[in-house]
Amino acid sequence: MQQYEYMITRQRKWMFYLLALLVLGSAFTPYPRIFLGLLLGTVIGFYNLWLMQRKIQQLGKAAAEQRSTKGIGTFSRLAAAAAAVLIALQFEEYFHLIGVLIGLMTVYVVIMIDFAIFRVKD
Amino acid sequence: MGALAAAIAVGLAALGAGIGNGLIVSRTVEGIARQPELRSALQTTMFIGVGLVEAMPIIAVVIALIVM
Repeated sequence: MQQYEYMITRQRKWMFYLLALLVLGSAFTPYPRIFLGLLLGTVIGFYNLWLMQRKIQQLGKAAAEQRSTKGIGTFSRLAAAAAAVLIALQFEEYFHLIGVLIGLMTVYVVIMIDFAIFRVKD
Repeated sequence: MGALAAAIAVGLAALGAGIGNGLIVSRTVEGIARQPELRSALQTTMFIGVGLVEAMPIIAVVIALIVM
């Protein structure tokens, strides 16, 4: 059970580091709109990551115990991404839209880099 | 027409993601049911697969909402 949990912890750690950097960027740089967009996208992306980790954990547990489970939350993740974009479109003076898009995709970069680095170690 | 384009974009992306996720989840569940001791490794592989598959429909949703 350890490999998956280690991966979850590592990804959460990197996401928190990234969120901290984005908060600092939005507070202390002259580009708060871009950083707020990135922050919004990354927060929603982090929610998507957490949901995916949780749902896959539940699915693995159910499969090991020969039970059934309800889906893996794809629709919720798509809806969360849509909500982020709608917020960015509604409050365009605060959030940069391309920043939100890049922030939403950050989580996949974190997943891939984590996988590439720790594939050999685990 | 913009709404129709958005609907087609999201629908096709969701179709692709559905097929891809279905393949990944079915193989993983089969593997875990056969060898429950490999659950962690199989979950990790499934997580990365699902993550990569779902990036595309999320981009499609975002682009569809932007062009709509």
